[in-house]
Amino acid sequence: MIERGEPDQPKRPARSIQVDGRQMPFQAGETILEVAQRAGAEIPTLCHDPRLEPAGACRTCLVEVEGQRRLLPACKTPAQDGAEVRTETERIDRHRKTLFALYLTDHPQDIEVAERGAPNELLEMAARYEAPRDWGFMESLRDNRDGDRNPYIHFNADTCISCARCTRYCEEVEGVSAITLAGRGAETTIATVDGLSLMDTTCEMCGGCVDVCPTGAMGEKMPLTREAKPERELTKVRSTCNFCGVGCQLDLNVDPDANDGRGQVVKVTSPPAGTTTNDGNLCVKGRFAYDFIHHEERITSPLVRNDAGELVPTSWENALSVAAAGLQGVSERHGPNGLGFVSSSRCTMEENYLVQKLSRAVFKTNNIHQCAAT
Amino acid sequence: MTNSIGEIRNADFLFVIGSNTSEAHPIIAMEMKRAVRRGATMVVADPRKIWMSTIAEKHLQLKPGCDVWLLNAMAHVICEEGLVDETFVAENTEGFEAVRETVKRYSPEAAEEHTGISAEDIRWVARKYATTEKAGIYYTLGITEHTHGTDNVYALANLVLMTGHLGKPSSGMNPLRGQNNVQGANDAGATPIFLPGYQRVDDPEVHARYEEAWGTTFPSEPGLNLNVMMKEVGKSIKGLFVMGEDVVLSEPNCMELEKGMNAAEFVVVQDAFLNETCRFADVVFPASVFAEKEGVFTNSERRVQRVRKAVEPPGEAREDWRILIALANASGADWSFDTAADVYDELVRDADKFSGISHARLDATVELPKTGLQWPCPTPDHPGTTFLHEEGILRGKGLFQAVDYRPPAELPDETYGLLLSTGRTLYHYNCATQTRRESGLDAKQSEAWVEIHPRDAKKRGIEDRDLVEISTRRGSVRVRALYSRQVQPRCIWMPLHFFEARANVITNDAGDPVTDTAEYKVCAAEVRKVEEGEARDGLFPGTFYGVDAPA
Repeated sequence: MIERGEPDQPKRPARSIQVDGRQMPFQAGETILEVAQRAGAEIPTLCHDPRLEPAGACRTCLVEVEGQRRLLPACKTPAQDGAEVRTETERIDRHRKTLFALYLTDHPQDIEVAERGAPNELLEMAARYEAPRDWGFMESLRDNRDGDRNPYIHFNADTCISCARCTRYCEEVEGVSAITLAGRGAETTIATVDGLSLMDTTCEMCGGCVDVCPTGAMGEKMPLTREAKPERELTKVRSTCNFCGVGCQLDLNVDPDANDGRGQVVKVTSPPAGTTTNDGNLCVKGRFAYDFIHHEERITSPLVRNDAGELVPTSWENALSVAAAGLQGVSERHGPNGLGFVSSSRCTMEENYLVQKLSRAVFKTNNIHQCAAT
Repeated sequence: MTNSIGEIRNADFLFVIGSNTSEAHPIIAMEMKRAVRRGATMVVADPRKIWMSTIAEKHLQLKPGCDVWLLNAMAHVICEEGLVDETFVAENTEGFEAVRETVKRYSPEAAEEHTGISAEDIRWVARKYATTEKAGIYYTLGITEHTHGTDNVYALANLVLMTGHLGKPSSGMNPLRGQNNVQGANDAGATPIFLPGYQRVDDPEVHARYEEAWGTTFPSEPGLNLNVMMKEVGKSIKGLFVMGEDVVLSEPNCMELEKGMNAAEFVVVQDAFLNETCRFADVVFPASVFAEKEGVFTNSERRVQRVRKAVEPPGEAREDWRILIALANASGADWSFDTAADVYDELVRDADKFSGISHARLDATVELPKTGLQWPCPTPDHPGTTFLHEEGILRGKGLFQAVDYRPPAELPDETYGLLLSTGRTLYHYNCATQTRRESGLDAKQSEAWVEIHPRDAKKRGIEDRDLVEISTRRGSVRVRALYSRQVQPRCIWMPLHFFEARANVITNDAGDPVTDTAEYKVCAAEVRKVEEGEARDGLFPGTFYGVDAPA
């Protein structure tokens, strides 16, 4: 895990709870869910995210606690010394089947329809817990906020389950509160102030709402409008963001067959919370600014300046020999310190090593500096 | 950074100075927001109202360029009120008495006159910083891009050392790096003074070791700093090789550089896009972007992380490291590296700060889950280093540096009555070679603007959204005027991302005497109206800016 240190807290004596018969010690303030997950228990969750304060909204994580009449939400119930918790019982199973069946009554059940891009965790859970699918169907009453001209974030009300992960992320993590829950009951939806486009709100387009949404209701527009393959058919390549110096880890989602077999970055997703420095967060540039990779203005062949003063395409062989001869010519006429090498803080460490070695070992000058020096 | 990004959320006091964190380092801003939500106290010192100042306990809106006054006055309070960590100072530092003497002259009352911040606020912040155990300082280019940038950093370091806020979690001195791999580029030796791993090129032992390792000879006197090199282009520098940087757009006072580029005899550019610098190139190599190559980036917290190839470069474009090998070999060298990992292995062979890290070890950390390794990491079984100076200060003793206030190189006068600062925004990145090509980002911010206080604007007959010309002693650019109360009266601010309104045509290239870093943050400017006009849709730089603007 990422080393984060600990907030200063008073020391308390050791405490423990029992999870499915296993004795588990815990720290003051930990929830049953956190302790149970450490014990390896599989508790389904939809509205839970380790970055957010517990909401207890989705009711999928209910567990049995000895002596409590009702099932309790594991995500929101603090562990208490001596509690006996059961996460797999007939009663819990019955609850889960019922709950998912109810969710499905206004949720598209066809995976082709329901899964617009990102995997739909609700459908996966409903299948895993064998929820009945014949409890009837009613149209979703949620408002769609169609026509939002923002370029990145699409809201598909049909698959929204009002778990409020997106709105809580927007408030608690990004801190801008651009989206909010609005309406009541079955009409509860994700709204902006006065129904404004996200472009005109406090939204900073970090896309955290897309990342946390368990059902793909908050989706990324670009892959949708470009009819990219769904996420589960893409190859994820873990890499490091190339913008600022935070070094966020991100997953380039690649369609390897696209672009004549050269592969195409179709979208960018973030690794799970808690696993990297960025804690699963990305900003607008990291998450959405990937079009430059395949931009039509990329230089695709070496260029040399001809007698007419124009840059014209040439072969690698010619470009390299012209460049080598040109730099050597300057060195012969003006000495090695007539040359200067500017390296790039955007390129890799290996490439920076090679530029300084090129400058020093090949062209005999220490006039080498990376571009961020001024 | 002496601390790690992960420690920010557990800090109890955050002093953010010269950093527009939510726009330039949004993910670090999220960690700070989390700390504040947890109950931490944040103080923002910035000449502009920025997003972070909206959640700060106090916003010290100082006049640009007065940082030394503010910081020395804080030190004054800490000394005067007996808040110095005398044990830490005695055991771990040297040179404190000179600082104690110097800061006596910087009373908060005198600082109030220079900085515009009340003496009471200065005292409050100094006390709070000195008496909070987990107190961290976070700064970026607002501190360093001055002719007194080094002084600013020393003044901050003095505060850290006199309060003993070092070598502990969530408590240290944290410059936030601007580029993905500015740390790694320095680590790899892309500097005129240092070989890889900060080994001085003029150290005879180091120099001899590298001559032997490379099997060749090379000079041992340090080369030119970038800012100096750019001023020498066309003069003593007649040939230039530029990789992955648009120097013509990003260097200060760039019209002078353009003259130099015209006078240069030979220029090679290696880039993924035809940038402004390519106008002067004799040869252009088509390079690759991060998604097309293998290697490592090192972030702000010294964490070495892998970059992995996801797609092939377009057309005949190649990975940069392959181009560099081919160019070296075309120039008579005999380099044989088959993979980026081979290059990395040679890099760390003679640089033991990183020698415990390898591509293979980094790849193995993906599944743990864990991400990358933080240097110093000298051996393959070393776990890496989360925060520096834990077992005493690395150089032996922490050295205090007494600094005095020096004004910026150029301040407003009768001809140029406004103070111009430049900076960055969330939606674009530096020269915006990449981000201006993103339809979505360009939809959000498609046009350059200058933030001007309505009072200054009205004096000059400028309406909100008028097209204006900003001029300085070096040149002029045209942008939209945006009424803003985020800037102080008599100060204006513009983003540097837009090639059609190049901020660096007008910025001052006067450099810091130690680092030669140019004074991008302060110069004298004047604004005049060119024409009335309707802004295009994308001018809104973000709703935050609209909050206080008149309808």
